[in-house]
Amino acid sequence: MKALNRRKLIIASAVLAVVGLAATAIPAQAAEVGVSSTRIKLGMTLPMTGTASLGYNKIPGAAKAYFDYLNANGGINGRKITLVVKDDRYVPTEAVARTNELILKDKVMALMAPLGTANVKAVAASVNPARRGVPVLFINTGFSGFADIKKYPTTYTVLPSYIMEAKIMGEYIKENFAGKKIGLLYQDDDFGSDALAGFKTAGVKFAVQVPYASGSQNAAAAAGWITKFKAAEADVVILFGVSSATSAMLGVAAQLQYKPQWMLGSVGGDATTIKLTGVPAGVLFNAIGFSPVPATTDMTDEYIKFFSDIYAKAVPGSAFDLNVLLGMNTAFITAQALKAAGANPTRKSLLAAIDSKGATFANSALVPAAYSKTSHVGLTGYWVGKYAPTGDLAPIGGKYVAYTTDSGSGAVVKSTYKRPAMPAKGLPN
Amino acid sequence: MHKRKESSHLIPFILGGVVLYFLSSMVEELRVYQGATIAVYVIAVASIILLTGYSGQVSLGHGALMAVGAYAAAVARIEFNVPIVLTFFIAVLAAAMGGALLGAAAARLSGPYLAGTTLALAIGLPSLANQFSILGGEQGLLFDVGFPPLSLGESFTQYKWFFWIAGLAALISMWVLQNILRSRYGRSWRAGRGNEVATQLCGVNTARSKILAFTVSAGFAGLAGALLSMTIGTVSPSAFPLTLSFALLTGAVLSGISTLGGVILGASILVVIPEFADVVAHRLGASEGVTTNLPGLIVSGLLILTVLFVPNGPVEQHRARKAKHALHKKD
Repeated sequence: MKALNRRKLIIASAVLAVVGLAATAIPAQAAEVGVSSTRIKLGMTLPMTGTASLGYNKIPGAAKAYFDYLNANGGINGRKITLVVKDDRYVPTEAVARTNELILKDKVMALMAPLGTANVKAVAASVNPARRGVPVLFINTGFSGFADIKKYPTTYTVLPSYIMEAKIMGEYIKENFAGKKIGLLYQDDDFGSDALAGFKTAGVKFAVQVPYASGSQNAAAAAGWITKFKAAEADVVILFGVSSATSAMLGVAAQLQYKPQWMLGSVGGDATTIKLTGVPAGVLFNAIGFSPVPATTDMTDEYIKFFSDIYAKAVPGSAFDLNVLLGMNTAFITAQALKAAGANPTRKSLLAAIDSKGATFANSALVPAAYSKTSHVGLTGYWVGKYAPTGDLAPIGGKYVAYTTDSGSGAVVKSTYKRPAMPAKGLPN
Repeated sequence: MHKRKESSHLIPFILGGVVLYFLSSMVEELRVYQGATIAVYVIAVASIILLTGYSGQVSLGHGALMAVGAYAAAVARIEFNVPIVLTFFIAVLAAAMGGALLGAAAARLSGPYLAGTTLALAIGLPSLANQFSILGGEQGLLFDVGFPPLSLGESFTQYKWFFWIAGLAALISMWVLQNILRSRYGRSWRAGRGNEVATQLCGVNTARSKILAFTVSAGFAGLAGALLSMTIGTVSPSAFPLTLSFALLTGAVLSGISTLGGVILGASILVVIPEFADVVAHRLGASEGVTTNLPGLIVSGLLILTVLFVPNGPVEQHRARKAKHALHKKD
């Protein structure tokens, strides 16, 4: 009898738990999910807490800063944009759970700027936004695979791919460091293999290649890397890793007085993130770096001026850095996509709008985007700069020189792209 | 002493299955998905309860054992096209083998040393996936159990299918566990936890008993890992972070570490807290900083309250109170 009571308790608690959950459900209505006569709802998951959140947790604040400005100036055809943000802690299980909440409970119209390759892949496999017709706008990763229209028909990338970056680095090396010995530090996973593929296409021959396992990067490891680069007498050392690898390497190199010509990949080349790891930004001085958007300190650029003014008002005391700029730029592109989707935007018309007009959407980038009916690839290149003593990337000689290419075998060319002027008041037209 | 009724208690589990079956059609898709996740955590938390509550060994590395099961299932599926049911058995076997190895080391360690060893495993093991291309690196592998059979109807969603698989696995696991824990092995585990020397004097090989506990526990963890991967469609190192191992231990403490009775409570708390925190934060109009840190705060708060007021878990507490009450009546 006692045993039966115990069972009853278990079953009763199970029933209660599930019924309790069901009671909080909200019924759906409206012409298109997430779009009402006054509001458009978008959803975002990204790491807001935990070690991986460093720097990235400023993105929602940045996007919201622009959307708030837009809402205060009439929104999109009278509809205000609401951005629902959830913390996925950079864990795929969490990303799937939170994205399910966004789509099934919060009923967002589209997902925006998700982060992390494993997360995006898990969400695509489990939540399956494509089957649900949910647009995944402008994912925050440089892996080239997500631009595959067949596999991810409702997903659009925005950052140039790692392959593009490696190809452009290769071209820059050919033009400026012909005959020099080149060393490469890369992460020994898919991130690194994308880089290797790009360098191979560009025909770069390395004197030495040093892989490191993700998570193994620290000062002790960096001392070992330096020994290898010194032994190979590398003149130019490319750091194609994450920020913690860059900061470990540059920190130790500064102590050991090891001074090759550094070249930093954009992932590990964000000065504010490096500063957050406790390494002074001065170690970046004179390194070569790459970025698709203008220097964050360039107040002569109309976008930088506009974005940084809005951000300073919305989030006082927070530095305007690359993550903030990219977050606002993505929000800016999203706003134009929504505007282009018509008077009563639907998920379908939103996707169609990016396919047909996406390549002409105004944004701060100094390289063109490649959206079309057959391509969901966003920005297609980088400009090359050098780091100032403050750790800020600035164009060499004060003039932006940008290169564009693709993730395949296409050539790397100096960009002739003329960025369209910013729409009046920074509002989508 | 009254003789315990020797039965396998199958009927309550079958009833539980019927309830879940009807529930899955009554609630909306998000709840079905969460139900599947709860079922997965039920198995994982139960595996911790077996190990820690019954055999007295601490593991901070169960996330890693889940990863072993998940990768074994995914590789079996992708490389050898093994039928989906078999992949779950492979997950159990692979993780149990890992558990046996770990258990052999664990039998020589105790307390903080064992905690440290398993902790190292939780940190190190998942990132091994980056070293072998067959394991798919940071992006991970797809683990696709396929669409639900067409005979179930057009409107039968993928998540309902996951829920059925995970729910069935959880019911079977709990039934098996319940019976193992009531068997000779369960008794010798508990005895060993209570007093190792006395248990040895009773003729139990405690080292072997501990290794067995680790092996069985790891097997269930492996199953949970494969099921977890099923619900997210992929297996990747970042799906098995250190925080997962900690969450499972938290779930076990909230469930009541020495009883399986509250396991659904602990598992539900783990799944529901983030959403609950979200709702609370919105009601209060809390700032971003509060919103993002609230789930952790609630879980930590619950953990402290549990340890302070119901150290054996709410279910065990309730049971003890009732037993005391009954004893009182007899007097």
